[in-house]
Amino acid sequence: MGRYTITYFGVRGRCGAMRIMMADQGQEWKEIVVDFADWMKGDLKATCVFGQLPKLEDGGFALYQSNAILRHLGRNHDAYGKDGKEAALIDMMCDGVEDLRLKYVKMIYQEYDTGKDVYIKDLPNHLDKFEAVMAKNKTGFLVGDKPSFADYSLFEVLLNHLVLCSSCLDTFPSLKSFVEKMSARPKIKTFLDSEAYKQLPINGNGKQ
Amino acid sequence: KLLFTTGRCGAMRIMMADQGQEWKEIVVDFADWMKGDLKATCVFGQLPKLEDGGFALYQSNAILRHLGRNHDAYGKDGKEAALIDMMCDGVEDLRLKYVKMIYQEYDTGKDVYIKDLPNHLDKFEAVMAKNKTGFLVGDKPSFADYSLFEVLLNHLVLCSSCLDTFPSLKSFVEKMSARPKIKTFLDSEAYKQLPINGNG
Repeated sequence: MGRYTITYFGVRGRCGAMRIMMADQGQEWKEIVVDFADWMKGDLKATCVFGQLPKLEDGGFALYQSNAILRHLGRNHDAYGKDGKEAALIDMMCDGVEDLRLKYVKMIYQEYDTGKDVYIKDLPNHLDKFEAVMAKNKTGFLVGDKPSFADYSLFEVLLNHLVLCSSCLDTFPSLKSFVEKMSARPKIKTFLDSEAYKQLPINGNGKQ
Repeated sequence: KLLFTTGRCGAMRIMMADQGQEWKEIVVDFADWMKGDLKATCVFGQLPKLEDGGFALYQSNAILRHLGRNHDAYGKDGKEAALIDMMCDGVEDLRLKYVKMIYQEYDTGKDVYIKDLPNHLDKFEAVMAKNKTGFLVGDKPSFADYSLFEVLLNHLVLCSSCLDTFPSLKSFVEKMSARPKIKTFLDSEAYKQLPINGNG
């Protein structure tokens, strides 16, 4: 079926970006879906380097940590910039996306009822940073002139935020255009239209 | 480079020292920072910032990776690079927990944090013990090693016995501390005078 296998729970969660990236890069992959009750028994967890999922298998090579997986895919599929300087900037942007993702996840899992409105109100103070970089680069990508793993990660986190608040990109034209163009890339469009994508909830607690 | 505590610059400084690099420190006064002029120029409105020649970079782990690329501390091939990334991300997870406790829960949460610490340290112990070289991945220090070393130094200040049940980590800290350039740096006034965290 292809070189990659993802082992994860039945959600988009921290596998959202890597799946979109693999789809866009023309990769097929196998999904091993872990039932949460089985996970709590602990056998699989004990084999995971940090006791966590997701896990990516590339041939016989097992890798954990979602952003390490994105970087590995970036190396494999020429999506890590054209030189060291671009690589560093891509790293920086992906770390910035991770900071936003952490805030989002905290709100979703810990503060949804009490904190959702405050989160949405504060969101422009974070999105403006990505808008500025996207607008300045002018290529439609964060760094360089083709998608990097940071773009896939940003795209995925923005899709989740649009579910949370459909108007959240209205004041950010470069980000809005970015989402539209990424969504229209043929392999991404096919993936986003697929049952495999649509049937999975974004998060594990049903909140979005 | 800019900072006002050891904080998120601790690992990069140790790495640069060990790699025989000299660097300039621009220390930002927190009151000045709150005025906002410098903050507005930072890509994410945050420090630290590294300047490499005319190239400005933010995000402490991106800086570590950049240094890793510059100084052959990113593994010998793609597989080692991926494992180093994974380990550095694991250190970051621990660092986030530590920072949260330090800044938000020190008085109420310190004891619980210390009690729970073995459940996190054991993961690093297992990798270190399995690799057998004295480093997390491969046979020489990567940026993940410098990051782990630094976070362990901070934890030893928090709880001096926290590595007693983790012989590979204890040996790792001892050996890293004994590397000549690191030893010189850790003995320096530049290192010793900076508090670890911004809240004391």
